[in-house]
Amino acid sequence: MDSEDDMHDANDVESLDDFYSGETALASDEDDGDYEFIDNDSDDSEDRTSHRQQQNYIILSEEDICVRQEEDITGISTVLFISRVAASILLRHYNWDVSKVHDAWFVDEEGVRKTVGLLEKPVVEFNLSPKEPTCGICFETYPCERMNAAACGHHFCCACWTGYISTSINDGPGCLMLRCPDPSCGAAVGQDMINMLASEDDRDKYSRYLLRSYVEDNKKTKWCPAPGCEYAVDFVVGSASYDVSCNCSYNFCWNCTEEAHRPVDCETVAKWILKNSAESENMNWILANSKPCPKCKRPIEKNQGCMHITCTPPCKFEFCWLCLGSWSDHGERTGGFYACNRYETAKQEGVYDETEKRREMAKNSLERYTHYYERWATNQSSRAKALSDLQQMQAVQLEKLSDKQCQPGSQLKFITEAWLQIVECRRVLKWTYAYGYYLPEQEHAKRQFFEYLQGEAESGLERLHQCAEKELHVYLEAVGPSKDFNEFRTKLAGLTSVTRNYFENLVRALENGLSDVDTHGACSRTSSSKNLGGGGGSKSRGGRGKITSQRPFPSQTKGLDDTNHWSCQHCTFANLNSATTCHMCHNRR
Amino acid sequence: MANTNLPRRIIKETQRLLSDPAPGISASPSEDNMRYFNVMILGPTQSPYEGGVFKLELFLPEEYPMAAPKVRFLTKIYHPNIDKLGRICLDILKDKWSPALQIRTVLLSIQALLSAPNPDDPLSDNIAKHWKANEAEAVETAKEWTRLYASGT
Ligand SMILES: [Zn+2]
Ligand SMILES: [Zn+2]
Ligand SMILES: [Zn+2]
Ligand SMILES: [Zn+2]
Ligand SMILES: [Zn+2]
Ligand SMILES: [Zn+2]
Ligand SMILES: [Zn+2]
Repeated sequence: MDSEDDMHDANDVESLDDFYSGETALASDEDDGDYEFIDNDSDDSEDRTSHRQQQNYIILSEEDICVRQEEDITGISTVLFISRVAASILLRHYNWDVSKVHDAWFVDEEGVRKTVGLLEKPVVEFNLSPKEPTCGICFETYPCERMNAAACGHHFCCACWTGYISTSINDGPGCLMLRCPDPSCGAAVGQDMINMLASEDDRDKYSRYLLRSYVEDNKKTKWCPAPGCEYAVDFVVGSASYDVSCNCSYNFCWNCTEEAHRPVDCETVAKWILKNSAESENMNWILANSKPCPKCKRPIEKNQGCMHITCTPPCKFEFCWLCLGSWSDHGERTGGFYACNRYETAKQEGVYDETEKRREMAKNSLERYTHYYERWATNQSSRAKALSDLQQMQAVQLEKLSDKQCQPGSQLKFITEAWLQIVECRRVLKWTYAYGYYLPEQEHAKRQFFEYLQGEAESGLERLHQCAEKELHVYLEAVGPSKDFNEFRTKLAGLTSVTRNYFENLVRALENGLSDVDTHGACSRTSSSKNLGGGGGSKSRGGRGKITSQRPFPSQTKGLDDTNHWSCQHCTFANLNSATTCHMCHNRR
Repeated sequence: MANTNLPRRIIKETQRLLSDPAPGISASPSEDNMRYFNVMILGPTQSPYEGGVFKLELFLPEEYPMAAPKVRFLTKIYHPNIDKLGRICLDILKDKWSPALQIRTVLLSIQALLSAPNPDDPLSDNIAKHWKANEAEAVETAKEWTRLYASGT
């Protein structure tokens, strides 16, 4: 290897490292054993504070909502010198926007009173001359004390009022805008009359509607969309990020209320969901949880979260669930390049039944969609599996592990953190497939860079997921404390941290529309990358641009010379020879 | 027997409808169901329905007057707010209903609707389109239908 080559490799590693570590300073290779400290309180609390600073929303319980609503009503009532009932009617009419109420009221109080139905004096004098006035609804006569009216003075008997109010309440939230029964009159009927005249049941319903209205009609608030969750979210409109993490642990997008979908924008999500429902019949077979083993053809069920599947004995063939390729073609043998995220690759490997089925199934576009959809859906179910594994872990396994390995619970936090990270990464990864589907075909440089980043993300996460799922198992099943448990901790905590950084950078890069590629990638160097697969000489390799946008891509990785890489003892990551520390786990070579 | 518990209001309304009918409108309860009314509305003058006699049925549901009466044309009529089944698009029969309204006010509103069709709030799309595209021709069709289906006996 000549020196020029080494120099460029060094550049590559440096810039790739940038991508992996981002702004966060990682523990350097000098302090290998330090993860124990890092994954403890210091790191954690720092995370939490920074999270709090960025937080642009407040989670509200039912009690919080009541308090806020009462405060707003009191505020309006005090400033405008009107009753609390009138203030409530006014606020409801202006969708609980305090400043809109102020503005409208001070510009044209009379006009506002008229549209909302807040009368200052009765429009009719209640004629007391007939001793027994007649109710305009039931046509019965009643003594005056059994008649009632809103501010307008249109009297009806109490029984008719009760029926009128009940009918309206059972019709839905429109009861919050109830008006006098007289067809020519718009006088508002407020909560005071409801409480005086309605049944207890109806009064309860009314106040539920009032509370709900404060959330649903208010532009700044929404209910958490998670089923059964009763929290609401108050959002600072105009914030940079729409991501909301509810107290019930559900993460969602405030803007479109779909599940959180960074780095993809709401529009793409909507398009993707629409596409999925249009194609759902074609895609049903994909969601099946079983596929034939590529070697022995027996159906194998996927019951683990990671994509590395091992067929049952005697076959024991190890393969990748996504592309059905041999697992030995993934991971270290291919230099860490993960190929099965790329669309073209799947087509080239067309030897398996599944691929043939796919061919028959439809023409190119459906095939392309199928490719992305399958990966999207698989990451989704992997995420669900990881979430339930995490819960299982917290409920049972950690205690068991604590016993077996003689470790206090506080020393096992790294496991929960690893699983939380896996759940989050599966979510991000899932959406990168929608991103990839809509990334224009003609933007070659971007596509190549994107697929490279996505491939690295898949393989990095796969490594973490395997470590947290399979390697942990050994320690759970151990008879007594394992000597190498601390090493395991270092490895898993390291993988967690590295993967977190990688994914944070990935999200940022995709949200920026891969703008790095515009400045660095789309230059003349791109063309030289075409020679990469075959040649591999110093000249063409030296042509790589910033980061790895011109790296040889997965379909060509089989031709890549393995002598250019060393496999990390700790995590098996294939590092370039010029690197002295593993850029996955930061252990020394 | 179905009428034993007839509310005072319905009895009073019925009495007044019979003793003091609104011009051009007649409504009489069915003998075996006092909540079911046979209604006739004369086509208003200077409307395409002039000269026609339109039969309707009106039913007072159990919840009346908290809920609106149910009314339907039995005579075929060419009108943008009335569909093939004789159902009527009129706000006071839906969300604008108030228990302080009466059978009489409902029937007067229907009569007014015959004088002033509103193709912007249609129930019958085809007729409304026709009305908007070529009102003169639509009015001719309405007159034709009045002659064919609503000319008495
Ligand atoms: Zn009134
Ligand atoms: Zn009454
Ligand atoms: Zn929630
Ligand atoms: Zn969204
Ligand atoms: Zn097998
Ligand atoms: Zn694969
Ligand atoms: Zn490593």
